[in-house]
Amino acid sequence: MKTHLAVIGQGAVTPAGVGLDALLHREPASHQVAPLGYPDETWPVLRVDLKDPALVRWQREPRLRRASPLAYFLVEAASQALAGIDPAERATTGLIVAFSAGCLVYSRRFFSGIVSQGQRTASPALFPETVFNTPVSHVAAVLGLNGAAYALVGDETAWIAALKTAAVWLRAGRVKQVLVLGAEEFDPLVLDAYRCARWLRRAASSNGFLTSEGAAGILIREAISGDSRTLTHLHDGFIYRTKPQAAHAATALLQPTDPLLPCYPTARHNWLGPLEKKATGDRPFLKINAPYLGEAFTASAAWQTVRALHTLTPAQPHLLLPIWGLNHQFGLLELEHENKQSSLDNPRPNRFL
Amino acid sequence: MATPPPIVVTGLGAVTPLGNTLPESWLALIAGRDAAAPFDLFDTSGCRCHQAATAQIPPLPHLPAKLVSRLSRASRLAVPAAREALASAGLLDASGRSRLSHLPISVSTTAGGMRLGENFLRAALAREHSHLFSQVSRYLPQQQVLDLQQIFGFSGHSVIMANACASGANALGHAADMIATGAADCVLAGGFESLAELVFVGFDCLQATSIDFCRPFDLNRNGLLLGEGAAFLILESHEHARHRGATVLAHLTGYGHTTDYFHLTQPEPAGAALVEVMRAAARQAGIEPAQIGYVNAHGTATAVNDGTEARAYTTFLGPAVGPTRISSTKAAIGHTLGAAGAIEALFAIEALRTGELPPQLNLQTPIPEIAPALVGSGEKRDGMDHVMSVNLGFGGSNAALIFSRSAAS
Repeated sequence: MKTHLAVIGQGAVTPAGVGLDALLHREPASHQVAPLGYPDETWPVLRVDLKDPALVRWQREPRLRRASPLAYFLVEAASQALAGIDPAERATTGLIVAFSAGCLVYSRRFFSGIVSQGQRTASPALFPETVFNTPVSHVAAVLGLNGAAYALVGDETAWIAALKTAAVWLRAGRVKQVLVLGAEEFDPLVLDAYRCARWLRRAASSNGFLTSEGAAGILIREAISGDSRTLTHLHDGFIYRTKPQAAHAATALLQPTDPLLPCYPTARHNWLGPLEKKATGDRPFLKINAPYLGEAFTASAAWQTVRALHTLTPAQPHLLLPIWGLNHQFGLLELEHENKQSSLDNPRPNRFL
Repeated sequence: MATPPPIVVTGLGAVTPLGNTLPESWLALIAGRDAAAPFDLFDTSGCRCHQAATAQIPPLPHLPAKLVSRLSRASRLAVPAAREALASAGLLDASGRSRLSHLPISVSTTAGGMRLGENFLRAALAREHSHLFSQVSRYLPQQQVLDLQQIFGFSGHSVIMANACASGANALGHAADMIATGAADCVLAGGFESLAELVFVGFDCLQATSIDFCRPFDLNRNGLLLGEGAAFLILESHEHARHRGATVLAHLTGYGHTTDYFHLTQPEPAGAALVEVMRAAARQAGIEPAQIGYVNAHGTATAVNDGTEARAYTTFLGPAVGPTRISSTKAAIGHTLGAAGAIEALFAIEALRTGELPPQLNLQTPIPEIAPALVGSGEKRDGMDHVMSVNLGFGGSNAALIFSRSAAS
């Protein structure tokens, strides 16, 4: 999908801290956590510090009284991305959040309660917080975003789906700007799942990841001439289920792109790393100095996008950011330093909309 | 300025608790049948409610048994519904594969294949080390989308909406947005939901489920009936449909959506957000509210929802309440959550095509404001040009879709 979206705001919550400086420069500390089904073994996990004052301040919001960590990550990342925006503009700001696991902490707690204590003790306070779009509703309510709001689900590429949805809204004129976020929260249950999948890192050199959590978001609008940090292509839909299908999809994803365009590597720490290396071939890779923040699915895709945006300079004006979904599909973003278009390509005035 | 493409509906398919195809479901619905029955998919002995509208899983004789055995219950509902939609649009070849190798999909669910996830958690809690990744990985909603893509042999952009009970309407509306803005020519759009214990117990603990009859828009309503199912539409630009000689079944002419932040699980009492989305949809369709012949209402039969919804219809329709006919089909098929918006849109389209109207079941003492508008048994309304389908959801999601005989005026 050819488009021209200007990134006009950014925010991040990471295990290395809250804010862009933490995202770009700080090393996170890991904690040892046991899977639910394997209490005698532990795995390193990167966790967001919930006592960070930037997160604690949101406890004053009545709407967030019972909310999960996910909602706190989102509202803080959203607040950063909206900084500097006229509050009046929030009424015409859309909100799209991409999730992989969604409200996992409360879902696990709710269902564990049913299993261990019986259906009669199920908590009516917990259940509404298990719904995918609940944290989206919290963010919109707390920050006064009165435009449209969607919760989207998928693997890492749900982030691309969210960006493409935002592009459709903007092209349609439904909203003037869109806040797009990706967020995940950690629960020990995911260690059971990733352990089964052999996705976890056993040694520093392995193609396994460290489980992580957090959020990031960007505020986007249609680009105008001179905008810096723009998204110019959004590709997805390269699906796979088996490893041979994944290899084919990876090749198909990158084949049509300019072989001289540098690529921002994003799969260096998971089982798709060798595949990324093979699919990108002799293409130049950007050297990444930012610390490793672990795997947090849609949040990781959002972190990588923000980090990649910060590598754009007049000397490095154009790059590819592949998004390697771990269990559905692959996609790709193209980022440019300076927009030379005055509006979206091929605008289609739309009576329907 | 270029004229935007009209959005046409060229294929329909549904699996509901009333039938394994859209025609089966529609005939049963119009006949006034309901699918409420004692629930036996899992033990509910600790719940207040012990009933639901369960779908009969259709056989999939065209697929290898091994493949079928790996599908989640959600996919077992979604695949036949999508097959019916693709076939009715003339998009399936002789081998049952999509004629379009590139086919974007806009789909909705609230729980995906949650029962697989529940089994995985149960095993983890019991420290049964036999729990398999294949189970937990297949519970994720994108796996049901991948099932559709691989079974029918297409790929392309996919959007999975999880906007609670308005998701289905959002998935259809977003598909229309994609076509209208040139992001797609043809989209498989719909929703699916399979009943899961987490969801069943969740609504039960909120005391939102009825323990006797689901009575939408009745003063004595006492809760919803949970259901499951799937529905899909083929939406495409008029030009794309014309080029391939497809039959146009209806036009999607209006879509409105917004979020009501009043309360996480309750709509703002006056229904202002719902009025706003209905007005937005009517504006897009270029029609006045009185031109809408039938509204398939959300009508969950919960105490809070139906009163608010009735007030919203009174505000939106004004004097047209009465001439515009209204019913909620949730008394017949249950609340199918992430599939509701898609299934109910199909019912609205069938009403537009046939003039037959789904009756409002289990009505004893209707809410006075909209009593004159509620559809009676055996009612027909010929000559309708526009129908509307409305959905609300947790988190304040509100959505309205308008389907018309012809393109927007």
